[in-house]
Amino acid sequence: MKKLSTGRALRGTAVFSLAALALTACGPDTSGESAEAETNDTDWSSVESADSIIFATNHPGGSQDIENELIEEFTDETGIEVEVITSGANYEETSQWFQTGGGSNADVIVLSDATWFPSYLNDALAPVDELLEAAEVDTSRFVTALYDDYLYEDAHYGAPYARSTPLFYYNADQYEELGLEVPTTWEEVAENGRALVEAGLTDSGFSFPSADSYVSWTAANLAWAYGGAWSEDWDFSAIASDGTVEALEFAQDGVGDWATVSSTTPDDDFGAGVTSQAIASTGSLVGILSVADFEVGTAFLPGGPAAEGETPTGGAGLMIASASSPEKQLAAAMFIGHMTQPENTARFSQATGYVPVNQDSDMSDVYAETPQFETAVEQLSRSRSQDNARVFLPGGDLELSQTLQAILTGDGDVREQLEALQTQLEELYESELASELD
Amino acid sequence: MAIQTQERRAAEEPQTPADPPTAPDEAVLAVERKRARRRQSSKNWSLFLLFAGPNILLILAFIYYPLISNMYYSTLDWRLGSPRATSVGLDNYIRFFTSPSGVEVWRVTGIFTAGAVIGSMVLGLLIALVLNKKLPGRTIARTAVFSPYVLSGVGIALVWNFIFDPARGALSHILGFFGIASPEWYLNEDWALLMVIIVYVWANLGYCAVVFLAGLQSIPQDLIEAATIDRAGPIRRFFSITLPLLTPTVFFLLVTNIIFSMTRAFDILRTMTPTGHGTNTIIFEIYLQSFGAYQRAGYSAAIAVVLFFTLFVITAVQLRFVERKVHYQ
Repeated sequence: MKKLSTGRALRGTAVFSLAALALTACGPDTSGESAEAETNDTDWSSVESADSIIFATNHPGGSQDIENELIEEFTDETGIEVEVITSGANYEETSQWFQTGGGSNADVIVLSDATWFPSYLNDALAPVDELLEAAEVDTSRFVTALYDDYLYEDAHYGAPYARSTPLFYYNADQYEELGLEVPTTWEEVAENGRALVEAGLTDSGFSFPSADSYVSWTAANLAWAYGGAWSEDWDFSAIASDGTVEALEFAQDGVGDWATVSSTTPDDDFGAGVTSQAIASTGSLVGILSVADFEVGTAFLPGGPAAEGETPTGGAGLMIASASSPEKQLAAAMFIGHMTQPENTARFSQATGYVPVNQDSDMSDVYAETPQFETAVEQLSRSRSQDNARVFLPGGDLELSQTLQAILTGDGDVREQLEALQTQLEELYESELASELD
Repeated sequence: MAIQTQERRAAEEPQTPADPPTAPDEAVLAVERKRARRRQSSKNWSLFLLFAGPNILLILAFIYYPLISNMYYSTLDWRLGSPRATSVGLDNYIRFFTSPSGVEVWRVTGIFTAGAVIGSMVLGLLIALVLNKKLPGRTIARTAVFSPYVLSGVGIALVWNFIFDPARGALSHILGFFGIASPEWYLNEDWALLMVIIVYVWANLGYCAVVFLAGLQSIPQDLIEAATIDRAGPIRRFFSITLPLLTPTVFFLLVTNIIFSMTRAFDILRTMTPTGHGTNTIIFEIYLQSFGAYQRAGYSAAIAVVLFFTLFVITAVQLRFVERKVHYQ
């Protein structure tokens, strides 16, 4: 065997060391030293806003046209150019884009209620309280429940933007034909559904969503109505509580009787007339109205033995990247202020079906054109922030959704499945979050 | 070889006594030869770097660097996008091989790969046998059969979503005509897996058919004719002549189809079943773990390394053992 010369050995070691250095330099910090969160002590009064920012959006609710319109007006008013980047087709893709290299230069990002928290954990979001104050944005006029969805450890990390809640939709023509009353409880939804099926007007009296269609979001209302929940703070025992079990046994018994589970989405099924009642996002209202060839009725979400119909908040907010310069951050805050002005919020709501995030928005024009929209706005008084298990726990939403689908499409014991889910959620919390939140 | 012979001849040629070599001359010659060798070697290296250097750099930057980086990330407990991580050694690998979800991934991958490879190859061979006949319009038929292979996987999946939709899809209408209820393709894990296998086989069929067709056309016709004269029927001719002579093609397709089904089905799987309910093959699991709900970049990197070595081993085993059974003409 040829003997390795000292020179070659040195060169080899150098190349290997450089490769190792390159690997560790590009990867995350593994030193184990927890970086202290930087205190934001910027004197915003001395900061001048940048003359351009980058806005990353997935154009929620088909909002590309209205976004462009509002952005153009913002540039005319302030002189700040806004480069728009389409960062994905949905909230998950946008979040993924922002967390990987693609989003490293974005200043304002659209992130959903269920996807912003990992970015917060990654120190990628700037707290917005002082920034919005410096940009003279009156945050007291935001709908409180919607703004507080971004509150964590005494700071807000976003402003409400494309916000929605689930809404109860029904086929008003069929209701009129059978003389049905608008339901206020889940029992009444079941009764109406059964009546519609028995009358031969439909094969599906109500459509539950599948795992791919945010079932854990809309079904939270059902669990709350029976006194259950997905979690209480970081305590996951609520998922296997009597209330949650009773609620999901009610739903499981209903499938095949007065209800079905949608293979696509409940709003698609409802708009196409496949089902007569459904719970879908307020953001789907415009789409449903455009395809339905029957009178669409809307109502508050149904309640149950334990609660009036509480509605989980949802949709997306506008976040500011922590990596942006103070000048860009200030310009981003001004941009958020513009997009959430009362008048602009009303126009955005009218174009998309999202609820207005500003309490001062005059929605009379919208109500005149789309009376169903009034229900969505009035229902905001019953809004409730979602449980941590769905929105803050990485993987929690998926585990929840898949178990809910298994319960709805199978005949397995509900309590057993929920107890298994509780264990899964607790393991997820321990492995993915506990060490970072301690 | 020629150079060596010349050198040997030169060494064997007798030196003339009138011109005896001197020690300093030999030393000078040796140095000259060494210099010439160095110059040649340097010239060869320069040429090599000039032609191959850019490609080597690209391969190092875009294949080997990410591969080695990924191996490093697989030893970390790292959430996607986080600036911090913890070194965990081989824990991610142990977790993948011992957790129930890891076992489920292997089960799904095995069923999908077997279904996709066998389905594509058997149907591809049958279509190739038909297209090998002198039928009118066979050029158009060949184009039609091959075209799905060049279509975008996302486009294919979207179209098949319309077909499989149990409420409004074309298939449910056809089944309804015969009084059969549509299966719950999207809600039942087993049906969902069958659904994506069907779509993948449809998309991959053209590739197998065209490669088989090329193999069939390389079989000498005189062998077939001789067998026909000897009164061998079509089935006997197929199993005794056609299939043995097709073994190189079968072998090639087997290797490429296994690799493709494990790596290139992602777009169809992701579009038709976004959260991977029962369809999380290993390539889809890499995405779901890292970019999906869990954000486990380190764990996902470990699964990617496992996939890399799985394909490496499958290919090596096939080359080592299966190729022996292949009949080359």
